Amino acid sequence: MILPYLTHILILIGIYTILIVSLNLALGYSGLLNLGHVALWGIGAYTSALLTIHGVPFIFSFIIAGIVTALFGLLLVFATRRLKGDYFALASLGFSFVVYSLLLNLTELTRGPLGVAGIPKPSLFGLIIKNSNYYLIFVAIISFASIFLINKIVKSGFGKLLEAMRDDEIGLRVLGKDTTKLKYKVMLVSGFFTGISGSLFAHYIGFIDPNTFYISELILLITIVIIGGIASIKGSIIATFIILSLSELIRFLPVPSSIVGPIRQITYVIVLLLILMFKPRGLFGRVDLE
Amino acid sequence: MSLILQFALNGLIAGSIYALVASGFSLIYNTNKFMHFAHGISVVVSGYILFSLFSLINLNFYLSLFSAPIYASFIGFLIFRVIYLPLQKRKASNIILLIASISTLILFQNLILLFFGANVKDIGYLEIKQGIDFYGATITPMQIIIILTSLVFFIFLYIFMNKTKLGRNMRAVSNNKELASVIGINERRISDLSFFIGSFLGGVAGVLIALEQNITPNVGVFLIIKGFTGAVIGGISSVPASVLGSYILGLVENFGIAALPSGYKDAISFILLFLFLLLKPEGLVSLRRKK
Repeated sequence: MILPYLTHILILIGIYTILIVSLNLALGYSGLLNLGHVALWGIGAYTSALLTIHGVPFIFSFIIAGIVTALFGLLLVFATRRLKGDYFALASLGFSFVVYSLLLNLTELTRGPLGVAGIPKPSLFGLIIKNSNYYLIFVAIISFASIFLINKIVKSGFGKLLEAMRDDEIGLRVLGKDTTKLKYKVMLVSGFFTGISGSLFAHYIGFIDPNTFYISELILLITIVIIGGIASIKGSIIATFIILSLSELIRFLPVPSSIVGPIRQITYVIVLLLILMFKPRGLFGRVDLE
Repeated sequence: MSLILQFALNGLIAGSIYALVASGFSLIYNTNKFMHFAHGISVVVSGYILFSLFSLINLNFYLSLFSAPIYASFIGFLIFRVIYLPLQKRKASNIILLIASISTLILFQNLILLFFGANVKDIGYLEIKQGIDFYGATITPMQIIIILTSLVFFIFLYIFMNKTKLGRNMRAVSNNKELASVIGINERRISDLSFFIGSFLGGVAGVLIALEQNITPNVGVFLIIKGFTGAVIGGISSVPASVLGSYILGLVENFGIAALPSGYKDAISFILLFLFLLLKPEGLVSLRRKK
């Protein structure tokens, strides 16, 4: 009983870790609070699910999901390139709304409010990963690889440039660096990992609908990233662990299942509000949110 | 012809509700200079208080009706004092306030879900009346009340802001905080007041929508997005412009579904919001003073 459940939580933690670290990459290393991240995740999930259902092998769907999401991320920062601070945040929130309503309304493509059911389990080189234990191994490999790569990027000269841009954009421009281009690059990377995380999620859960990628999910992402701390990959990983385990523990409370959802949401936002008030840098944050 | 009139009427009705939400939102934004997204709470709390007082404990209808927005204004004031003010004292950035605000909105939505459940609540005071024929278009008495009530409140608000000392002080704070405090205006009191008045206006929208349709926990999130969109279209830094933008939004949505399937109604406003934020974030009526 316990073991399959543990496997389930670990798979989710693996998937969310990629998602949160990629959000933190855009937020912590370029200062963009991207409230459109949840929509990008949805784009990755839908792309991969729909392609596989139409017969594309999983491995291609998985990679295409990353590329398509990266392009949408690029589109988002390109469109919003002149906005800053809370206006960027709001425009990216607007992007989430737009994607949500398109997922609902482009019924021929996305199947609308009914969602996409029966998403096949991934198959790699002819082997179908049906068993959750194997899926865990697969997710673990992908998340370790993703975090390894993102960590490499952050520690590289490119990462230093990003931090410089976050701290003093004008100063960096005076030195002759094209900061707009830097933002495009970071969003491409962030978008790619978001997309593959979406693909992993869709093929694990097997069913997605527009509400999976809307405001309540967004609150979860923001909560985790802020608890972990801005610009801290370690913080993001630890916070994902804590919050997802907490979220799964709520399931065992002796309450009717219909109120588990609201109780979870209330827990997230109360934790988030307390962090904002008393420890705005989170567990391992190195910079303030400006 | 009558079809065009019908779309125009529907747009005006929706626009009236959006404009009530937008006027409060814009008033609070101008006085405090941050986005009070949790403003949607005033709408949903007011609707549920009307439901609780009238439909659950059978209080007198008019007493319930008039007290609901007052409760909403107290909730707005409490949110300012308990959540925003401590953050402002810590010199939190506008992004932090925005996140806190969205979180608070989600908090209340889920508290309502917890206490009242997800199902639709009907006030059940008005019998369903047949619409009145208006040059070939149909409008119900309640819809006429919505249009008139919001107009009356906008006139009150205009008189308050322009003809009373308190209103002028409020405008002084929104124009120039430092100068206002130099001439002895208590900024905190003006902020308190903006949350009271703004949330009251949201509360009025809440009772109107509860009476005309019904109320669900999502209506707060739904209407703050619409009110915010209306404010952005018109110009968030001016209350009259926000009101105007909301009517435009109502009309565009309703004329839009003449051409597109009705499911696209929300998509139209989301796309408008996104485009305005990108291309014209100061809104149609730009009041930025030339220097």
